[in-house]
Amino acid sequence: MPHGLTAGVSLKPQHFADALQASAPGLWFEVHAENYMAEGGPRLAGLAAVAAAFPISLHGVGLSLAADEPPDAAHLAAWARLVERFQPALVSEHLAWSQRRGVYAPDLLPFPRTGEALDRIVGNVARLQDALGRQVLVENPALYLPLKGHEMAETDFLAELVRRAACGLLVDVNNAFVSARNLGYGAEAYLDALPADAIGEIHLAGHAPDPGLGEAMLIDSHDAPVAEPVWRLYERLIARVGPRPTLIERDDKLPPFAALIAERDRAHQVLTRTPAHV
Amino acid sequence: MSELSRFQEAFSDALAGELAPLAPWIDGEGAEARFAVHRNTIARGCAEALADQFPTVRRALGAARMAAGAIAFSRQHPPASPSLMTYGAGFPDWLASFPPAADLPWLAGLARIDWARRDVLFAADRPPLGPETFAALAPAAYATTAAALHPATALLWFDDATPSLWRALQADDAPAEIELAARPEGLLLLRPGLEVAHRVLGPGAHAFLSACRAGLSLAGAGERALLAEPGLPLSQTFTDLIAAGAFACVRPAAALVP
Repeated sequence: MPHGLTAGVSLKPQHFADALQASAPGLWFEVHAENYMAEGGPRLAGLAAVAAAFPISLHGVGLSLAADEPPDAAHLAAWARLVERFQPALVSEHLAWSQRRGVYAPDLLPFPRTGEALDRIVGNVARLQDALGRQVLVENPALYLPLKGHEMAETDFLAELVRRAACGLLVDVNNAFVSARNLGYGAEAYLDALPADAIGEIHLAGHAPDPGLGEAMLIDSHDAPVAEPVWRLYERLIARVGPRPTLIERDDKLPPFAALIAERDRAHQVLTRTPAHV
Repeated sequence: MSELSRFQEAFSDALAGELAPLAPWIDGEGAEARFAVHRNTIARGCAEALADQFPTVRRALGAARMAAGAIAFSRQHPPASPSLMTYGAGFPDWLASFPPAADLPWLAGLARIDWARRDVLFAADRPPLGPETFAALAPAAYATTAAALHPATALLWFDDATPSLWRALQADDAPAEIELAARPEGLLLLRPGLEVAHRVLGPGAHAFLSACRAGLSLAGAGERALLAEPGLPLSQTFTDLIAAGAFACVRPAAALVP
């Protein structure tokens, strides 16, 4: 795997001190880039200390790559400053939109997968990669709302995006599981169809049933441990594509750091018992 | 308009109001409940950002009233930037006209201070200027030299004792009853290192720092301070502010403003 990364943990400021004490082969940390777009202060200083000791990954939630307009110029510039300063091992964003016409919605919104949308996203990913001077990984979304007007399956859409924009994929196995359940298709077949060579990172997270609709509608809540069916999909994916840097994502109901490390160790075991595919 | 633009326009309209504009793209039954996931995620993201930025307002209002206020604000003033750390500059003024807060006239003032604290927290890092620099100034230089405030400082003034109220609400054993004295007060928020500190200011110290911020000479700032508060122990006030880390550098004073 690149940079010797095996399994990592998403990092919040509450866990900076624990992270600095951690030691495990292949351990790395991922943060949301938007939370570090400051001139100074303790949060940036904490990340700098962690980045001096471990590889880090910058994960974006606000570049709105699927919007019908280019990414916000000021936001791109802030991204470029962070990448310049922290030299992250991995950089990633989402196949979604969240900002257009000067309004930002803190969510990852769906869209009909048309040829026109693909052209737009290819252009936006190219702008991002040019601004950062490096390849980025694009993450498959968690979907809730069945839409009309799709011209391509999501796996074909992502494969075309990778081919045309020369980006990589961040495969969120929990998103694949949640979307398959919510929209009524098979998660195994979905993951089997993704182009193996393009996968540069994997996300694992917990989900929760919708408070109103129950198990028929799963929410990508990032507030619970990774579910067993998601672990099974992950093991199947790794057996197919070989080991890839894998992140335990947790954004809410933050458990003690040791609990995240225990989940991370489980992913590390999966990765290190799987030989690299040549 | 392109198909993607039409879709995103309709989706944005549906987020703000009814699902109807999105009907051409809806596939299947039960879309309203599914679409609500997006409405909820957005409302929650805005409310959490504002709760982070305005912890004292949240403490004074309680979590439920804070969330209600934050969601009402975010509907009228959605974020413009994906960096939610910068979201909420308009919240203090908006709170002043928020009907459920009509009986809490001090709330907007607390919000102003919380926002200033946020600015100080994320401002540029810089070592503060120590007393040696000032000790080395010849007496005549006080008339031509200004002391620049540290980049991680905020200076505020209130016609009532909102700064003392804000300070009382920072403590873990914050008072259950909110009392606001009529005495005017200033507040200095500053972060010489990694932690934000604050000090409540009388009129003299506030006038001194305001004059420094405007680029007046140290002598000129001292005159302003004594004018605002005739009994002020000027030398001790200056020494305390230096020790607190309020200054970044010395530079030639700006022309005197009458």
